[in-house]
Amino acid sequence: MSMPVHQAGNLEGADSAPMPNRRRTRRFNKAFFLNKLFKNYFLFSILTLCAVLALVIFFIGRTAILVFGDVSPAEFFFSLDWTPEEGRFGAALFILNTLSLTLLTLIMAVPISVGLAILMAEIAPKWMKKAIRPVLDLLVGIPSIVYGYLGLTVLLPFLRELSGEGLGDGLLAAAIVLTIMILPTISRISDDAIGAVPKKYREAAYALGSTRLQVIFRVVLPAAGRGIVAAVILGMTRAIGETMAVVMVIGNTPQLAKTLFTPSSVLTSNIVMQISNVEFDSAWNYALHMMAFLLLLISFALILVIRYLGRKGGAES
Amino acid sequence: MNRFSASRKQIRALRLDRIATACFYGLGALVLLLIFWLLFTILGKGLPGITLSFLTKLPEEIDPGGGIGPMLFNSFYVLILSLIISIPIGVGAGIYMAEYAPKNRFTEVLRICVESLSSVPSIVFGLLGLAIFAELLGIGLTILGGAVSLAFLNLPMLARVTEEAVRAVPDDLRNASYALGATKFEVIRSVVLPVAMDGIVTGICLVAGRAFGESAVIILTAGLSTSGEMWDFNLFSPGETLAVHLWYVNSEAIVEDARQIADKSAAVLVFVVLLINLLFRVPLWFNNRKLKR
Amino acid sequence: MKLFKKLSLLTVASALLLSSAIAGTAGAKDTLKGKITINGSTALLPLTLQAGKEFQKLHPKVKISASGKGSVTGPQAVKKGIADIGACDWDASVDVPGFKAFDGQVANKVAVIPFATIVNKSVKVDNLTTEQLKGIYSGKITNWKDVGGEDEDIVVITRSFGSGTRVNYQAKALGGGDIVKKEKNYKEVGSSGDMKTAVATTPNSIGYIDLTYISGSDIKAVKHDGVAATTENVINGKYKIWSYGYYMTKGEPTGATKAFIEYVQSKKFQESSLKKLKFIPISAMK
Repeated sequence: MSMPVHQAGNLEGADSAPMPNRRRTRRFNKAFFLNKLFKNYFLFSILTLCAVLALVIFFIGRTAILVFGDVSPAEFFFSLDWTPEEGRFGAALFILNTLSLTLLTLIMAVPISVGLAILMAEIAPKWMKKAIRPVLDLLVGIPSIVYGYLGLTVLLPFLRELSGEGLGDGLLAAAIVLTIMILPTISRISDDAIGAVPKKYREAAYALGSTRLQVIFRVVLPAAGRGIVAAVILGMTRAIGETMAVVMVIGNTPQLAKTLFTPSSVLTSNIVMQISNVEFDSAWNYALHMMAFLLLLISFALILVIRYLGRKGGAES
Repeated sequence: MNRFSASRKQIRALRLDRIATACFYGLGALVLLLIFWLLFTILGKGLPGITLSFLTKLPEEIDPGGGIGPMLFNSFYVLILSLIISIPIGVGAGIYMAEYAPKNRFTEVLRICVESLSSVPSIVFGLLGLAIFAELLGIGLTILGGAVSLAFLNLPMLARVTEEAVRAVPDDLRNASYALGATKFEVIRSVVLPVAMDGIVTGICLVAGRAFGESAVIILTAGLSTSGEMWDFNLFSPGETLAVHLWYVNSEAIVEDARQIADKSAAVLVFVVLLINLLFRVPLWFNNRKLKR
Repeated sequence: MKLFKKLSLLTVASALLLSSAIAGTAGAKDTLKGKITINGSTALLPLTLQAGKEFQKLHPKVKISASGKGSVTGPQAVKKGIADIGACDWDASVDVPGFKAFDGQVANKVAVIPFATIVNKSVKVDNLTTEQLKGIYSGKITNWKDVGGEDEDIVVITRSFGSGTRVNYQAKALGGGDIVKKEKNYKEVGSSGDMKTAVATTPNSIGYIDLTYISGSDIKAVKHDGVAATTENVINGKYKIWSYGYYMTKGEPTGATKAFIEYVQSKKFQESSLKKLKFIPISAMK
């Protein structure tokens, strides 16, 4: 490694004599000044980040809280009737739909992505692993709106054909699109978690005569468990917050999704569909902001869970 | 486990092992096939029809044959503006977290902030932009609003990738430099950053790719229309981007060839994102190879 | 040197000529500058876009940007200050059923918008009565065979709340009847374009839209009580499902906005482009 040995040597001061004294101090001052300046700049940067977060919470929360001036919290959180034009703001249906969509997505995404992670980390030869990773990265690169568009033009007609439904819009279509979207997130992080399991665990298990399958399911997966759960939760935050891909295939009708093919709406899709229809100072606008605030709270809660898992995992190993 | 007890149980376990291995390979093959099929569908349907005039022409609202010029321009313009805003702050924040942050409560709080911010759904940033620019400042839906809101979205990701890249720099290098009497900033500037540059650039590419395709934020903050002319650098023009246009043309299909325009726009979007990733990463891959040898 | 002189003379002359030519087309209002943002009704959007294009040719310094969602977005955006003109399919300066008046806004009448019932090309029915439509949209009739078609489920596509097309359609085609949410075979869409795409791509679907959007072979308009949805039938009073389209402004329009609205209301635009788009000039209605 070639290292830039630069003017820094002068800072040592007295013993490296030949420099004229004044020049040395000036240089020293400059270095010292820059050091100080940039330390503060870096600190300023991170504080800006925090300020943005505060801004988000303040602006969304400030408007959101106003909803309870017009709508009782009980109605907002427990009523399934969202008819804003008649003053009924039951957001429970969006919350429930978001939850069921996320659940459905995870049911499909977790086995596939964890399976893929196992393949990459434990089974496939090294060259194959190296080939799969960039390809998964390609999947990350495709914009969500393109996923939505493909869902609309390819998946929906296919589902219509398959199920005999009139429309095909609904939870199932949205969940399939989301599954593909969060697949790389979950499998990449799970892959890392599995890779972090100490080799000696595996060797011990093999020494006892276990097959690879047994090693994977009885030793590696339990050991990597927390990491995998963290990966799944990270995928979850993506699924819950995704907007445009969902908007294009879910049907956008504010009603509870009782079947896989009921055209319905989730928190994100309802916000983006209705926000331009409302006045800034109306209960409807406040309600939409409260829904956004709920999204925020859910994401924060999930992040805390990941942190908790991470800390526990760290303490064990 | 001796030879004599190589029992049925063991044979079954071995067979199961083989079947499972096959299943895992099958799953992997399926996923890969799916990915290639997706890319093939998007690019295959759209790319062949793309001409230079499609990329530069103004969109038609009623007659067929419109282009995507202003949207494509806005996409890059908004992206570059947002990166100009977010890179200095995001990278700075990442460096702070990796190099300066002491191990204490305060740092812990900062870390929670970064993680929380990165989990904020993009639609919420859209609402924030709407609240600040349309409601508070009253300047309506503009390129500026879109770029700033997008920059908010980029910030936490940039901070994270920078932090990871900087942390990956071996301490030996730092110590050697300190030993030569360098100040902390000098160490960062001339040792840490050059070494971490690969990782940072890769991270920026990922962020740029995501921002290029972002639509929820732009719809709420930059609007669904352009100023109707090419090369409009005015920050206060409405700034519909290509990703938004894909949605718009699909739902406002007045023109007869809306479907083709959507197909082509999708192909251009994916193509550009792939390009952003490839252009910057391929040289890095080669570099890495050389370094490792 | 001589050549240079000649050349410069030529340049000056041609520049003069060019500028006078531009001035000639743009008339005395060439000084018109500004930015007009238009939001609102997607039913009016094709008209707005076409007018915007023509207007910008006359006044290159005016920037017009238009986008659409539901009608209510128009006056809403004007109120928020996001838009200078809010396109709306009803007079939003007075109370209408379901919507309160927007105080301080002025309604500028710009066109007559005919609406039509549309079905997917797979549907064999070509006439529906008010009663049948009421039945379909209230969820009482769910199969095409009950209205003279084949034995297929009816897929109802409707505009979401805030759409002027919905307001007018409900009042005039459904005779004030309700549009009832259903769990199956029911979808709400946010704009006219969405409506067109949805009906065009969903077999056995029914929807409603303004006449401008009806083109191509995937959707077809059906007769209402035996009357075809054509501009002639609107003008001669046989076809009832239409409304005026309005440009809402904050107070009386001024400057570029005023000039634009005047252009849209001008005889030149009303009699040519507006008609071509299957809207009806305001002057045609008595």
